[in-house]
Amino acid sequence: MDKQTDFVLRTIEERDIRFVRLWFTDVLGTLKSVAVAPAELEGAFAEGLGFDGSAIEGFARVYESDMLAKPDPSTFAVLPWRSEAPGVARMFCDILMPDGSPSYADPRFVLKRALSRAADMGFTFYTHPEVEFYLLKGHPSEMSPEPVDHYGYFDNSPQSVGYDFRRQAITMLEAMGISVEFSHHEAGPGQQEIDLRYADALTTADNLMTFRTVVKEVAIEQNVYASFMPKPFRDSPGSGMHTHVSLFEGDRNAFYEAGAPYQLSKVARSFIAGLLEHAPEFTAVTNQWVNSYKRLNGGAEAPAMVCWGHNNSTALVRVPMYKPAKGNSTRVELRSIDSACNPYLAFAVMLAAGLKGIEEGYELPPGAEEDVWSLTAAERRALGIRPLPDTLNQAIGEMERSELVAETLGEHVFDFFLRNKRADWQDYRRQVTPWELERLLPTL
Amino acid sequence: MTDRSASLSGLLARRGFDDPAWAESQLQRLPGVEPARLIEPLGAAADPDQALASLVALAEAGVDIGVLAADEPALHAFVTVAGTSRALAEHLVRHPGLVPALGRIESTSPTPEARRAVLLSAIGANPHDVEPVTRNIEAMNLLRVAYRDELVATAVRDLVYGAPLDVVGAELADLADAALDAGLAIARADLPADAEPCRLAVIAMGKCGGRELNYVSDVDVIFVAEPIPGGDEGAALKTATRLASGMMRACSESTPEGSLWQVDAALRPEGKQGALTRTLASHVGYYERWASTWEFQALLKARPAAGDRELGEAYIDAVSPFVWSAADRDGFVNDVQRMRQRVEDHVPGKEADRQLKLGRGGLRDVEFAVQLLQLVHGRSDVMLRSSTTLEALEALSLWGYVGREDGATLATAYRFLRTFEHRIQLQDLKRTHIVPESHVDLRRIGRSLDFRQDPVEELSAEWRRQGREVRRIHEKLFYRPLLNAVARLDAGDARLTTEAAHQRLTALGYTDPEGALRHLQALTSGVSRRAAIQRTLLPVLLGWFADGPDPDAALLGFRRMSDDLGSTPWYLRLLRDESLAAERMARILTASRFASDLLLRSPDGVSLLVDDADLQPRSRESLESEALSAVLRHDSAESAAAAIRSIRRRELFRISAADLLGRLSTQDAMVAITDVTTASLVGALQIAVRSAAAASPDGRVPTRFAIIAMGRYGGQDMGYASDADVMFVHDPLPGADEKVATDAAIAMANEVRRHLMAPSADPPLEVDADLRPEGRQGPLVRTLESYRAYYERWSSPWEAQALLRARPVAGDPDLGAAFQELIDPLRWPPGGLPTDSLREMRRLKARMESERLPRGADPTLHTKLGRGGLSDVEWVVQLLQMDKAAEVSTLRTTSTLDALDAARIAGLVDGSDAAVLSEAWLLATRVRNAYVLATGRGSDLIPSQGADLASVAFICGFDPPAELLEEYWRATRRARTVVERLFYG
Repeated sequence: MDKQTDFVLRTIEERDIRFVRLWFTDVLGTLKSVAVAPAELEGAFAEGLGFDGSAIEGFARVYESDMLAKPDPSTFAVLPWRSEAPGVARMFCDILMPDGSPSYADPRFVLKRALSRAADMGFTFYTHPEVEFYLLKGHPSEMSPEPVDHYGYFDNSPQSVGYDFRRQAITMLEAMGISVEFSHHEAGPGQQEIDLRYADALTTADNLMTFRTVVKEVAIEQNVYASFMPKPFRDSPGSGMHTHVSLFEGDRNAFYEAGAPYQLSKVARSFIAGLLEHAPEFTAVTNQWVNSYKRLNGGAEAPAMVCWGHNNSTALVRVPMYKPAKGNSTRVELRSIDSACNPYLAFAVMLAAGLKGIEEGYELPPGAEEDVWSLTAAERRALGIRPLPDTLNQAIGEMERSELVAETLGEHVFDFFLRNKRADWQDYRRQVTPWELERLLPTL
Repeated sequence: MTDRSASLSGLLARRGFDDPAWAESQLQRLPGVEPARLIEPLGAAADPDQALASLVALAEAGVDIGVLAADEPALHAFVTVAGTSRALAEHLVRHPGLVPALGRIESTSPTPEARRAVLLSAIGANPHDVEPVTRNIEAMNLLRVAYRDELVATAVRDLVYGAPLDVVGAELADLADAALDAGLAIARADLPADAEPCRLAVIAMGKCGGRELNYVSDVDVIFVAEPIPGGDEGAALKTATRLASGMMRACSESTPEGSLWQVDAALRPEGKQGALTRTLASHVGYYERWASTWEFQALLKARPAAGDRELGEAYIDAVSPFVWSAADRDGFVNDVQRMRQRVEDHVPGKEADRQLKLGRGGLRDVEFAVQLLQLVHGRSDVMLRSSTTLEALEALSLWGYVGREDGATLATAYRFLRTFEHRIQLQDLKRTHIVPESHVDLRRIGRSLDFRQDPVEELSAEWRRQGREVRRIHEKLFYRPLLNAVARLDAGDARLTTEAAHQRLTALGYTDPEGALRHLQALTSGVSRRAAIQRTLLPVLLGWFADGPDPDAALLGFRRMSDDLGSTPWYLRLLRDESLAAERMARILTASRFASDLLLRSPDGVSLLVDDADLQPRSRESLESEALSAVLRHDSAESAAAAIRSIRRRELFRISAADLLGRLSTQDAMVAITDVTTASLVGALQIAVRSAAAASPDGRVPTRFAIIAMGRYGGQDMGYASDADVMFVHDPLPGADEKVATDAAIAMANEVRRHLMAPSADPPLEVDADLRPEGRQGPLVRTLESYRAYYERWSSPWEAQALLRARPVAGDPDLGAAFQELIDPLRWPPGGLPTDSLREMRRLKARMESERLPRGADPTLHTKLGRGGLSDVEWVVQLLQMDKAAEVSTLRTTSTLDALDAARIAGLVDGSDAAVLSEAWLLATRVRNAYVLATGRGSDLIPSQGADLASVAFICGFDPPAELLEEYWRATRRARTVVERLFYG
């Protein structure tokens, strides 16, 4: 037994842990949890815990349903929220086939494979997400959600729900070893933003799964509801998850080159070119819901045009201001991705697109320095700026034709994901919306 | 004078000088020394000419050779070293101060501390400081000179005093340690004044870690760093990284005095991408989470070499538990299998036969094999935990994990090869593992190893002899001890315990170690010639079995073969002599249930594996004539049928064996299986004709009869589990009674089917006539006229589609041709496919897609009806054929791939679309065939996991197995896109 496992078993004993939640994520990005008693943990470490994979979205079909969840002892953390007291801990799991080989359906494995491809090229992939979400009054089953406050961007909101909320959420996250860089009130009423500190992509993805749970738990404790839905209100901004990414070669930032324009190395430029070239193909992954496209088409600052800019907050890819003497902080920000994605898959496709750019030596097109929404469609066409897919349906169509996404997700996840999203779209098409009723019923 | 010089050059020649005339002239250049006093010592050197040249150079450098010649030990040491190493001689000539001291070099090795003190003092650092540092700007040059001085001393102990290999290797490692410490002292001087203090330990890995270093080799290291108590970790690591890279530079950089060697830190966590220095906790964290099996194997050799001792020891204490539990990790067995294969794959083609290090039987292989055994057994037996190859080998044989004699032979061979390597490297102090080709070099090395009679020949012979011993390393180290575990041995001889044998078999991939040991016992016990041969062969076979997916089944199969063939002389000879045939047999037994079953049913099939020519499929013509003459030879229908079926069994084994051994493409295998089917039908029909004639009053069969191949058989696309789809047609002779003729025809059709399908020891050939008009409801046999009438009245597009692959194969050729003429306008309608037929076909296919797939089957894994599978591709091709074959004659073929290719050439299908379709079709076919080969059963579904998937993937050459699924999904997904475009329009 290795030391980490020893440590876990010892902590369980010392802290009087009664249950251990084993966490993993299905293909759509929903956190799954199975609780085991400490006594069974040793077995789970050695052989994994058997479960019926066919009950999990995207894992397996009925006839091959046996799968194993094998906890990763290095992700052990005691859950700090009160409702779990005393003594509940969690660990993330890798999903294995009965013969012990990794399951190609496990999103965590999809990301691990993408990361090892990067490692073969000498790179480590770091991400730093800015997560936006809304705090709402009452319960989500009520059809008209109401935000908890009416403050705006960066408003100092003492004594407000959001203020307490952020303080408590951050305390819990830090208690679980997840560093928070930044938090503030966002532009929409009741909308919050919390930025996680940058870390390698696998850790960040694990952290995001934890983050969503923590945020939901804290909200329940404070009698409000937290939602990561991309666009809950027609007239308020949607919740995105702008993600800053960088590649490191050893301890050197491979995106940085002193003296180059915006200090962007050739690697960085090709990486951005890769993101731009393949963005329409991977949008179904980074923006996976029908509702995601309501955010992307929301105008204003929505990053729905495939272009990049330096500090241009309307571009799909933004290169943040360079801070002198901080070569290692050089990074690029992808702004389309939203808070309701599956972070493992989303990071995997972003990385793959960027690496493809590096491998093939894509040339970076000129940057857009103006507000791309203020351009006419014809002007944009003249500048070679394509739009992202308009709807989930278009995004599915783009993804279907993408060898890059197929290869990155693996054929199993690729196939399941497309089938699931097509079904979603079919179902959505059948809906009669309040908008139609309001407009048409009185006149027709 | 002339007389005297002639005798001098004669003497020189006798003493071993290569060029006596030249030597004589050189001796003239050493005035003041009587040549006779030099000739004896020089003649003892490995290369007297080279030693003499060095002596002359030394004289020119100002050394008084007369004085040297008077100091016999010093002279002896100088010429011995110079006669073996040009590089060290040059060093001595450049730094002659050491020469007089050569005679006083002690025969015992200095302590590591003493060596460290010598090097540190030489560069101006105080060896007693906790962190010695030098500010001497010449330090790098001084280090190189001092290092070489010490190297000369080691060479003297090696060459003059004959120190054993182990001692030399340990001395070289100690010297490297000292140089690393000196490198650190140089690097410390370059630290900025405000650098955060840190503790840094240098861990030696590889040969240096094992204290078995070469004269010249990269020195593998890992760095561990810690802040001092209360210090800042980030800043300390920064200092440590500076120190580490400074030290590496201090050792490897080229200065006027050359360089020492490369310091290689690539074995660190994350390899070259990883941080150069890490804290102890970070190392441990890495090994807990990420490390792979080979990294633990590398850690076996870890040893604190320089820098902070205490930290180094703490590192070893922290990582060694990982090493000894590596064998329990997931995937250990697979990793080991892969690593073993990698060793063998790594031989560079060009110099393969002159390599001492890489490749099967190379030094690396010995070291690797020993380490693997340490990992497997070291967990439960602490006696095996040495980091030195020779010590570990000795321990393995002392405690019974390796046969004592095998252990001793291997140790001798290893010592010889390593010493050989040392002598090659000494000459120019170059890192090389290639045996030189020049006569001069070989002669020098041979003489230095005490081959004095005919150095080159003796050396080569010895190298070949020892190389042979080492080449059988796996059998000796891994497998033979397993036999000892079940054998009766002399009391007192240690042997592998049953528990250790279980451990080892499990590590090698045997899932039922108990069963395996039972088979081994049965196969090797007794005094028969067979048991003796098997005792020799089994250690090799066990390895071959373990290379495949099912070693347990292979061992069981071999036992059954052996029980059956027993002491048949040719079989024993084959096992003894034809190692290629034995290896092929092993691969078949471990990989294929189908071929194994065929083989076990008639073990003499193993003789086909001897000769490559026997693994070529036989032509249809020769198979047909063999079948026909078998019928002639046997009067009884039953025994004639048995003869035909045994021909088929033999051919199926030949084809499957060739397929498994990679000697047959998927397409060639399909054609070969089709040909065997035809020969069987031709033979069976001949029997039926004979019976029909006998039953007829006039001894004549009253009708002409032909068999038409349909479906996959007609297309020559058969797999190992395919039925033979056929239709029967007959045509009563003029004047014959139609009823009588039809009865005779039905009797013949039934007889053909009965002979080929009846249960027997040989596999049955299912003859399936369900594709005939009206299917099972229709008559089994029709007359040509009846077919004509039927097709005129009823023909539907799908029936015409089935006729696309109709092809006469047996019976009356004229009747077959007439049948073809009858159906040609149906399957290739002039003017193309009418619109409503086209629509009907599309609809039919669409309905099939939703209905025909079995319940619960994964459409992405169904090779026949699934997404982008066989039927998808075939319908595209067939639609094209029906529509265009009247116009484009090249489309008139029954073979799917030929038709697709013809369509591409005719411009009907785009080149890239055709490639996508044929790739998917061939892969689906190959996987189907591999499934039958692996399991002995047919299946339309690809196994999605487990042992079946592993076996299929092994046969198809995918590793890891899940890659097969990825590849299949990718190919069929692309094919489906093309199908949707081309078929549905």
